[in-house]
Amino acid sequence: MIKDKLNFIVVDDSKLDCFIAEKIIQNTGKCNSVKTFQQASEAINYIGGLPEQTHETILFVDIQMPVMNGFEFVEAFEALPAEKKNGISIYMLSSSINENDIARVKGYSSIRQFINKPLTANSIAVILENF
Amino acid sequence: MYIDDEANNLMSFKASFRFDYNIFIANNTEEALNQLEQNPDINVILSDQKMPDKNGVEFLEEIRLKYPNAVRILITGYTDVESVIDAINRGHIFRYIKKPWSDVDVKSAVEEAYKFYMATSMLAIKNEELQKAYTELDKFAYSATHDMRGPILSVLGVIGIAKQIDDMGEVREMLGMMEAAMVKLDNYIQNIHDYYNLRRGEVKITEVNFEEIIKDMRDIFEMTSKIDKTGFVTSLKQAETFRSDEVSLKIILNNLLSNAFKYQNRSRDDKKVALDIEVTKGMATITVSDNGIGIPENSIELIFNMFYRATSQELGSGFGLYNVKDALGKLGGKIEVSSKENEGTTFKVSIPSK
Repeated sequence: MIKDKLNFIVVDDSKLDCFIAEKIIQNTGKCNSVKTFQQASEAINYIGGLPEQTHETILFVDIQMPVMNGFEFVEAFEALPAEKKNGISIYMLSSSINENDIARVKGYSSIRQFINKPLTANSIAVILENF
Repeated sequence: MYIDDEANNLMSFKASFRFDYNIFIANNTEEALNQLEQNPDINVILSDQKMPDKNGVEFLEEIRLKYPNAVRILITGYTDVESVIDAINRGHIFRYIKKPWSDVDVKSAVEEAYKFYMATSMLAIKNEELQKAYTELDKFAYSATHDMRGPILSVLGVIGIAKQIDDMGEVREMLGMMEAAMVKLDNYIQNIHDYYNLRRGEVKITEVNFEEIIKDMRDIFEMTSKIDKTGFVTSLKQAETFRSDEVSLKIILNNLLSNAFKYQNRSRDDKKVALDIEVTKGMATITVSDNGIGIPENSIELIFNMFYRATSQELGSGFGLYNVKDALGKLGGKIEVSSKENEGTTFKVSIPSK
């Protein structure tokens, strides 16, 4: 996989938060592509239909969303075939400071980390150190 | 209920107390069990101790498991300490009446027992209410952090970005987004206000002038109707006076209409919302219909739940229909919903005049 640039996927029902994430990601200078989804199910369909990727992907998903919430999204993601999940790292975003949610994040092996909103240039820089 | 194997005792008991209480009598424990099965909410049970098939303590001990709320009183001719202790420990009896009983003794025991029963049941009801309030508070706190902090954090995020940008056009675009986030927050706070008005507020029944209410609704939604190019038609048929709580009525109408305008099919040219009110035979029937996006079938059951949202379209708080249902509960009304995805939704509200 090519290491210097990354693909990004943002899943958040708030249009504004998608916009913020997109801007901050573009400003990192490490962005190969960024896709935003306001509906989690659309993001799952998108990932399921992706051809094999040349770049690693960082995926940000909000917890509280109508219809399909963040945890349901992760469950649907985990049910995808292994080759689709390859190279995708999930980061959970939330504005809630809810102990239950934080504890629940630990129960999903595919979630790398829990991040407080709003996404900032600093928080994204810390994540990028791992790539 | 009084259980005794001596028919004379039963008769005189019934004769003495039938005016003050609803009395059940049983000649043996089996009959008593039958009576209990048919009337599980019997409040006070008096049992004789010495009966041929089973003694009173055994019987009271047995029924305590199935009917824990009934208050138990033992009547007995024995006065040895053993049987008293036994009765208290095994039968968990409330009072112990010595035979032959006098009306006064039994009367005071039954009165006390009934008071005790009422106090315990009230406590159970209050506990249940409290439990419900706690659950709601939990949900509320959880949602409040998300729904109130959410827009604030978004705006903070945008401000952070906007600071780095020189292009005024782009900054303006961001201002528009911030505005939308603040409108959402404001809407949420309005909803909380409605929620507490409904919860804590007294119902104030007055004569309702639907013409005025429709005019109010037209004023509120006229702008939205124009901006979103959504037709808004209203009709009223009222031949008799109608009495209800106007604040609750307005909360119901406001929420239903705001949803009807919100969940429209953006690509449609003939977007419309209709409000029809008809008052006949002491009932007001309010119909709010739209030809918008509709509600998915599997969500219909859930839309009245607090914080439930069936779509990510638009800026719903998941509070509106919950408030509608709450308000209807206060007015003794009911609501029906029929909806088809991409065809539209109709809410039909029926409220009796008070």
